[in-house]
Amino acid sequence: MATMKRKWGMAIDLDKCTGCGACSIACMQENNLPMFTDDSDSPKRVTFLDLMRVTNDRDTDKKFGDVETAFIPKMCQQCEGNDPKNPKPPCVSVCPVVATDVGDDGVVSQIWSRCIGCRYCQASCPYEARVFNWWKPDYEGSFKEGLSPDVSVPSRGTVIKCTFCSHIWKRERDRMLAKGVKDINAVLYTPSCASACPTGAIIFGDLNDQASEVSRLAKDKRAFRLVHTIDDKPEEEKKRLMAIKHYPNPKVYYLSSKQWIKDMQKFK
Amino acid sequence: MKRTLILIFLPFLVVLPFSYVISEKACGSLMSFHAKKPIPFNHKSHITKYGAANCETCHGYYENGRFKGLPTVGECKACHTDNDAGKTPEQARSKPFFANYKDGDRPWEAFAKQPDLVYFSHMAVMKNEKQARCSSCHGLKEDSMTTAKIKGKMPMGQCMDCHTALKISNACMVCHD
Repeated sequence: MATMKRKWGMAIDLDKCTGCGACSIACMQENNLPMFTDDSDSPKRVTFLDLMRVTNDRDTDKKFGDVETAFIPKMCQQCEGNDPKNPKPPCVSVCPVVATDVGDDGVVSQIWSRCIGCRYCQASCPYEARVFNWWKPDYEGSFKEGLSPDVSVPSRGTVIKCTFCSHIWKRERDRMLAKGVKDINAVLYTPSCASACPTGAIIFGDLNDQASEVSRLAKDKRAFRLVHTIDDKPEEEKKRLMAIKHYPNPKVYYLSSKQWIKDMQKFK
Repeated sequence: MKRTLILIFLPFLVVLPFSYVISEKACGSLMSFHAKKPIPFNHKSHITKYGAANCETCHGYYENGRFKGLPTVGECKACHTDNDAGKTPEQARSKPFFANYKDGDRPWEAFAKQPDLVYFSHMAVMKNEKQARCSSCHGLKEDSMTTAKIKGKMPMGQCMDCHTALKISNACMVCHD
């Protein structure tokens, strides 16, 4: 098998996002996540993709008409740590049972059957992207008949998270193999959130491929990453900081033309 | 002294048989120990006598790369046609036990069963640059003359040994999701 050269990443255009929540619903349906009766903005919500609503109404200089609202679809940011060649996301280094690991394509895996439910990874995650299964999955109505056979239904008491729909990649790989294409770098796919987005705000692709749209958007002027303060520091300061501290270095980029969203990402 | 010993070990004596029965039942259903094989089948004669080219004649793939698994009655009837008149001795005879089944039924259940959390793809293992043999997981089915189980357990270590030996990635996400 050829070695994996892809590095999957995502770019989300917040200017295009309308906050419809189709990505969240598509994610839950694709990954066999149940919807519970108290499924609101509660912190115990079991979901991979959280649609955060952010607003600048707490900025003191904003008048009545200036208040704006934006939606940030937040899933696992697939961190790779300081060194991309030796990826060490914060969650992987704390897991005592090697239930979470970085795959060859840079996607952080989470194997719930190996998870003992200690929730160290959940505490170490800077983005709160990991969720703990507090309840046994309870499917309403005929939802259970539509479960995806490619994804296992996680058990109660384990941590789960978004894996960029890695089962879709495996499905596409099988389809390519059936056609006779044996190169795994030829396999391209789209996670369910990106394919469900009606405005095309979520772009998924290969960050190693310089021609791909996602690597173009990652270098865009509007691009930023969630609470990643090291990004706008000068190069030497970056090196000095990275020598003394671990940074998550996520692979999900957000694009926004609004300055207040970028200001939110900095600690005051 | 004797009484104390009995009292100490009594809970174990009571619980152990129960836990054995429970685990036996659970493992049996999880690992498909008691798969139903209602119709006898002879792998060896199908391959040697009737000239089935390879395993894929009956255990093939769908167009999208999914493994078909055990054949349906309809697929059996493609060779074992109902009308016997005018058949040469080399052609397959009609089988009366198929009368109770519809064409879409799968009479046999498989011994080989992967847990829910494994994304095992026959296509990825059998049709890739480095190919596995059917017998490395299923046993020598082409020599078997019954439907009895030859090789049951498929522990993860066996998969990982092969992957290590062939220098295929052993990252968790290669097989799990």
